[in-house]
Formats: sequence, structure tokens, C-alpha cells
Amino acid sequence: MNTFAVHALLLLSVAVVAAPVVIAFIFSTQTPAEIFRFPPKFTIGSAFLDNYREVWTRYHLGLYMKNSAIISVAVTVGKTIVSFLAALALVYFRFPLKSWVFTFILLTLMMPTEIMIVALFELVSNLGWANTYAALIVPFLASATGTFLFRQQFLQIPESLVDAARIDGAGPLRFAWSILLPMSMNVVAAMAVIQFVYMWNQYLWPLVIIRESERQVVQVGLRMLTSGQDATNWGLVMAGAIVALLPALFVFLLLQEQFSRGFALAEEK
Amino acid sequence: METETHAAYKSRWLPWILLLPTFVILLVFLYYPTLETFRLSLYRVAFLGIRKTFVGLENYQDLFTNPEYRRIFWNTVVYSSLVVFFSMAVGLFLSVLANQKVRGWRFYRLMLIWPYALSPAVAGVIFLFLFNPQAGIVNYFLDVLFGIRPDWLTHPGLAMFVLVAAAVWKNVGYNVVFYLAALQNLPGDVLEAALIDGATPWQRFWKVTFPLLSPMTFFLFVMNTIYAFFDTFPFVDLLTKGGPNGATNVLIYNIYRDGFEFYKTGMAAAQSVVLFVGVVILTVLQFRWGERRVHYGG
Amino acid sequence: MKRLVVVLALAALALPALAAEKVKVTFWHAFGGGRTAFIQRMVDDFNYTHPGIEVKAEYKGSYRDTLNAAILAARQGNPPHIVQIFEVGTQMALDSGIFVPVEDYVPAILKFQLEDYIKPVANYYRIKGKFNSVPWNSSNPILYYNKTIFKKAGLDPANPPKTFGEVMEACKKIEATKAAPKCITWPLHSWFVEQWIAEQGALLANNENGRAARATDVYIDSPAMRRIVEWWKAMYDKGYYVYSGKPEDWDGANQLFVSQQAAMEITSTSDVTFMQNAAFENGFELGTGFLPIPDGVERNGTVVGGASLWLTKGHPQDEMTAALTFLIWFTNTENMVRWHKGTGYFPVLNTSVKVLEWQHWFERNPAYRAAFDQLLQTKLNRATQGALLGPFPEIRTIIENMIQAIFQGKPIDQALKEADAAADKALKEYNAAVGK
Repeated sequence: MNTFAVHALLLLSVAVVAAPVVIAFIFSTQTPAEIFRFPPKFTIGSAFLDNYREVWTRYHLGLYMKNSAIISVAVTVGKTIVSFLAALALVYFRFPLKSWVFTFILLTLMMPTEIMIVALFELVSNLGWANTYAALIVPFLASATGTFLFRQQFLQIPESLVDAARIDGAGPLRFAWSILLPMSMNVVAAMAVIQFVYMWNQYLWPLVIIRESERQVVQVGLRMLTSGQDATNWGLVMAGAIVALLPALFVFLLLQEQFSRGFALAEEK
Repeated sequence: METETHAAYKSRWLPWILLLPTFVILLVFLYYPTLETFRLSLYRVAFLGIRKTFVGLENYQDLFTNPEYRRIFWNTVVYSSLVVFFSMAVGLFLSVLANQKVRGWRFYRLMLIWPYALSPAVAGVIFLFLFNPQAGIVNYFLDVLFGIRPDWLTHPGLAMFVLVAAAVWKNVGYNVVFYLAALQNLPGDVLEAALIDGATPWQRFWKVTFPLLSPMTFFLFVMNTIYAFFDTFPFVDLLTKGGPNGATNVLIYNIYRDGFEFYKTGMAAAQSVVLFVGVVILTVLQFRWGERRVHYGG
Repeated sequence: MKRLVVVLALAALALPALAAEKVKVTFWHAFGGGRTAFIQRMVDDFNYTHPGIEVKAEYKGSYRDTLNAAILAARQGNPPHIVQIFEVGTQMALDSGIFVPVEDYVPAILKFQLEDYIKPVANYYRIKGKFNSVPWNSSNPILYYNKTIFKKAGLDPANPPKTFGEVMEACKKIEATKAAPKCITWPLHSWFVEQWIAEQGALLANNENGRAARATDVYIDSPAMRRIVEWWKAMYDKGYYVYSGKPEDWDGANQLFVSQQAAMEITSTSDVTFMQNAAFENGFELGTGFLPIPDGVERNGTVVGGASLWLTKGHPQDEMTAALTFLIWFTNTENMVRWHKGTGYFPVLNTSVKVLEWQHWFERNPAYRAAFDQLLQTKLNRATQGALLGPFPEIRTIIENMIQAIFQGKPIDQALKEADAAADKALKEYNAAVGK
């Protein structure tokens, strides 16, 4: 295929992929009158600051963003640590029932939270965690995927390193901290992206367990924008969408190289 | 286990400490609710637990004989198949394109995969606006080019189309990441041999490249299906609420509605069990079948 | 004298202790948009004039979302004190067991207010002789129309259509003159169906609409229903009726009307104030009229729509007293007048009506007149009293699905039968689940 055609097709694809968000942004700056104009106005409108300010304050998106940020960072950090330690145990220790433990963790790959929302709701409510950060963070702190990713990574590290460390008198935790961790940074980066984006984009579980504005997350806040106005102001809704997508997109762009390399290759195996 | 070779440390208690958080969380927040869901599916529950009556398999009976529920199963199958097929097909096409050894392929890759970072809620809300019959841009272009202004969300087929389009748009990037990585890892010698054999690009692709990609294809099939089953809830919730007349009511949406709007906890649990069984089958297939039946190169 | 000084001194010592802790009351409602701030202003006034109490008002989403939130919160042992529950959630609220009958808690000195309700409202909310909740926002559907477009289409702007047939005639003219892209809109919501059933004097459920005893049969397959759906389908097929595509999309319908995509809208009278502002902003003249009804049918009137305020159980005595104080204040004569003027919801107290009439309010603000007259002209019978059904949310979805199915071509007979069976089944399951 000749290079020109390839470039042309690629550019076209890029444009098609980007179009919805670009359009959303343009209309997020317009007033309702401008939005309903025929033919439509394809340039920046006159309500840019107004719409974004209103969405941030009156419709509480600022507060919701804060909540989403808190839970996303908490789960990203927490899950990474918990999975790292679990993988450490699985790879570098000899202990009875190891294969049972392995299976125990493995089976949870088949248990996404969506299939148990009814029971999980009841459990979390009985724990008294309804409308708290705990409800949004704790259930996500352990992960089979994370554990296996780290495990995969550790298995690739030559045994000679472990032996050398042991001879040097380094305990397992020292070894993990000074040798394993630095060598696993691409997995850490990949997990950071996946977990942050995953938590930032949570919708169904917060919808079910959070009923108070104080702790609501940004994606559900978006839902309220589509039905909580007197007459749907699409400019506001699009502004909300743009605001809601920026942080996850930012994290993704920051670490996407690591994500594409570290995650894809590790998963393939 | 092959990991035994790495098992350098002999502490008897440290590994259990390291595994403790994982155990507790998985046990309390994954295993327990899953089992509890099974148990709840055998009850008729009012107002989320104010009253519970044991009814055995009655909920399942209702599920499999009631035409409304059969329709939901069918919708789920149709919707998932469309989303999976198009996400993967378009993803594959774009990956092949980006793999064409052109300058700036990294830039192209980035520009094709970034919607992966968006949430289904954001994608849903944007598509809701794009396809709005009066204010949306899609109808503007259709009006100018063909003189039509379809009422997207009031027709079952069109509503399904919008839901599929939104879900595919958001998810194509995921497939591009993996397919591109797989393409870049293909053994060069096999491809060169095909070139020498004088095969056309089209033949080369389908007879050599695609079979070599089958492990990745199988893996992506499972991942995309799980996406289609669960992560598409916001699309239905924001765009159609299952309508028109239940045409886009898929299992995950109905579970939410039965459980949290109609307060039919037992039925919601039973449907969750059905969905769970689907996931189990898929995952088992991936682990057993996927490893053996795929085509290996070289 | 000495005793008095001692008492005063003790009281003075006690006062700081009393003034220290405010009693906190939470109030959940379903009013978004401009009403959230409006309610907040009223709440602020209350807090300011009642120093010992602090009421916190919160918008929870749609009526369904608010009811869900309250039930879930109660299950979690942490319900808000006051919840706004929509009228059709009344049976469910009664069955849930998480609320107390308000009338039992109103102190004798304030009971006069309960006697002050206008008849249709008292009719709806007095169940077996008692007020379980405090009526607050009552509304009914009216016809809003764009007088400017009417003039363009050659229609009489002072004379809106009053029957199904007249609406169709008006739409024909509007289409012919291209005065507006579409003729009429209203949310695809079962509420309108329920209203049209009541207008015809028909019942929606057995046991006298579930009022004489618990309902066990839903009446969907009825001649009254047939008249409604036949007209609605015809309007849809001809392209006169338009809706946003999503069921229960109030905002979407409003948007269609205020952006002048549709010449008429049927929606709640609670939007009058909003509509007036929007009409002004968008440069058209607003008119209001009665709900159009089927031809040849005697007008029975409408069912009181809207919501009432319920009090949850399980709070300490001082919080209950504070919550009640707020409830009675919030719905008293002056505040009902204020609420009416700020939204369009009825002034549900007779004394509030007297104030408004004395102010010549309705003469000076004719847009508010239509709903008011329509309500006061309503005949008081079981049909307009409104049905009490437990699984109303599910039944409403069944009805809305039925309408959409009919739009897509399902034969009306079949659609009505199937919906009737589905609704009966839902009712049976609900009654079994709550143990009745």
C-alpha cells in the first residue's frame, strides 16, 4: 500500500476518532440559543466560562471531581501495594498450599463487582459504609490481575539476583524494596494507568451505594446533569463531559507509552 | 509449580502476612457477595430485605419462561456480539494500518487509542447529544446531505445502533493497543516466506498474519465480551433506559433496575447468577481452549 | 421577687447550654434546576428565624431516585428526617414501614393547618381518614402553547384546543403553514395516561382504585385507555407529536417547547414560572389552557399530581419536633403563596388561595389561572382521587413500554392485553412480597 494512502487513511481515522470530543468541546462553549441554531455554529460560543463555572459550582462537579480523585489515587496506590506484596509471597517463598492460594486468587478473575451489586450493596450497608469513601475504595484494594502482572514480572527477573541478595544477607523485604521494585516500574506504571482510569470511570457501583452529594463521584454527577435541569442545556452537559474526562485522559497520556509496552506484552503471555 | 525455582526465602509466616490483605479483601468483598448472590436468588425479597421468603428455584423458572426475560437475554447477545465484532474488526483494521512502517506511527497509535481513557458515561453523554434529533450534529449532516432526520432513540434498531456506536468508539483503542503489539511481535521469517511465495497482500494477511494473531484474537474476544456485558451499563442508563419498549434492555441494566428501582432483589440476584455463569464459561474457555486450539507460527 | 430572680438567673445560665447545639434536620427532595436554589432560600429563611434548628435540604435526583435513596438510607439505618415522595409512591411508602403518619405527630395547636387543605388535595392524601404525609407540591397537567406561533398559523391565540380532535385540527394548520417544525410534545410518561383516565371518570385499579381496599387488579385493557392510545398513536404517526426518545424526559420536552421546535406542550403546571421566564428569553408569548381530553367525554378533572413530605421514624424526640416544626412552617399559608408564585404549583391551603385572590393574583397573571381553575372544577370521585398501587414505578414503566410498542406498530388490542397482564403480574408479586 503506498505511503500516501496509508497516511491519508490514518489521518482520516484519527479525525473520526477525535470528532465526538472536539464537537462536544465546541458545543460546551455555546448558549442554548446558539446550540439550536440552524445551521449549527461550529465555532466557540459565548458561554465558555459561564458553562464551565456553572457546571463546576452549581452542579457540584468540582466537589465530585475531588471525590473521584481521592478514590482513584487511593485505590491505585493501595491496589499496587497489595498486589506487589501478594506476588512477592507467591514467587519468592516456599509454603504449603501455595497452589490453593494461587487458585483462590485466580478464580476472582471471574468475579467483577457488577455481578454482585445487590449482595455487595447489602454487605457494605451493613458495615455502615454507605456514602463513605471506604465503600468506594476498600472493595477494590485487591486484585488478581495486579498480582499476576507483578508475578509475571518477577518471574522474568533472573534467579541469580535473588541468590546474590540472599548471600548479601538481605531479607525478603529489603530485596523487594531495593531490587524488585525498581525493576518492576513498568508494571507499576501500567497498573497506575489502568487502575486510575478504572476508578475514575466507575459508574454503577457509586450510583448504587452513594446517595449523598458529599461523596458522589464525577461520572454519576454527569448523570444528574442530564436530568436535573429545567430544560436540558446541552452546553452545560457537554461542559460536564469535558471536565469529567480530563483527569483520566491526562493520566493516560502521561503514562501511555509504559502502558502500551508494559501491559500489552505482559498480558500476552 | 515453575515458580518454585525462584522461591528463595524460607520464612514460614512472612508469606501469609504478605498475602493477608489480598485474602481478606477477596474473601469479604468478592467471594462472600458472590455466594450471597446465589443465596438471594432463591428468595423473594421486599424493599431490599424488609421481608424475605424462600421460593426455591421460582425466580429461575420465571427467568427462563417469561418472554420479557428471554427478550433481555436476546438483546444482550445481539448487543454484545455487535460491540465485540465491530470493536475488534475496526481495531484490527486500524492496527494493520498503523503497522505499515510509516513515519510517526507512535503518534498515530496514540491518536487512535486515547478514547480508551474516557468513561462510558462521558462517551454516552456525548453520543446522546450528537444523536439528538433536533440539536445533534448527526442529524444536521443527514438533513443537509439526504434530507432525513431520523428519530434515533425512538426506533429500536436505531437506538441499538447508537448504543453500539458509542460502545465501539470508546473501546476500539483497547483493541488497537493489543493488536498492534501483537503485529509488531510477529515472527518476521514467516511473513518473509509468504512474500517470497508471491502471495498478494490480501492473501498474506488472511492466510498468514491473521492465523498468527489468533491467540490475541481469542484473548481480545473474551476481554471485549466482558466489556460488552458490564461496562456498557452507562450507555443504556444515559441514552435509552432500556427503551424503546425494552428494545435495548440488556441484562446488566435490567439487574440494576430490578434490584434498585423495582425492588425485586431476588430476581436481580437470579439474573446476576446467569451473568456470572456466562463469565465463568468465557473465562474457562479462555484458559483451556485458548491455549491449545490456536495456530502457532514457525 | 427573690424567687423570680433565682428563676431568671437559672434560666440565664441554662440558655447558653440550650443555644449551643442546634438540632439538625435533613430534608431530601427531587427538585433540580432553578428550584434547588429556591428551596434553599426558603430553608435559609427558616433556619434564620428558628435559631435552634438547622435544616439541610438536598436534591437527590428524580422522584424515583429520591424514593430509592430514602429506602436505601433507611435500610442502612440512616434515613433523612423528611423525604419528598411522589404521589404514586404513597402505597409503597405506607408498605415500607419506615415512615410515621404525620398527623399523629402534629401538635394539637397546629392541627388547624390540616383542616385547611383544598378538597382535591385532601382527597388524595387523606388515606383512611388520616394524613400520612404533608401535601406540598401539587400540580396537574396543563396545555402550554406558543401564542406567537398560533398567530403565524392562523389559530386563535386566545382559544387553545380543548379536545383531542381540536388538537389534531390545530396541528394540521400548523403543519400546513409550517409555523413550527413540530406541533406538540409531552414527556412519554405514564402520568399523562393516568390523568386522561381520570378525566374520563374511569378507574385504573379495582377496589375503587385501591382506595377502599388494597388493589389486586390493574385496569389497562379498558375503553378509556383505548381512546387515549389511539389518539396518541395517530398523532405520532402523523408527525404531530414529538418526544426526545427517552421515557420520562421532562427536561427534553421542555427544551423542545422553549426552543420553539414544538408549538404546544402538555406538562405540569409546576413549570409555569419557568415557562414564563423561558418564553421571555426566547421571544414568544406564552398561553396556558386546560388539559385536552377525548372528544365526547364529560370532563371529570385531573388527579392531583406532585408529591408530599413524609416523616421517617427512628429519630430522637427533639429531632422529630424540629422536623415537624419545619414541615408545618414550610407548608403554611404564606409559604404556600410564595411557593406557588415561585413555581406554579398550587397553593394547597384554602387560606393561601384567599390571599392570592385578594391580591388579584390570578387576574394579573393569567398563565397561572388555567391549572387553578382546572383543579377547582375537578369532580370529586374515585377516578380523580387517583389510584393507590404498590409497584407503581414498575407499572408506569410497563405502560410507557406499551406506548412505545404501539408506536412501533404493535396492534393496540394486543399491546393493551399484554400490558394489562404484565401489570397484574407485577402487582401480584408485589403484594406477595410485602406479605399481603
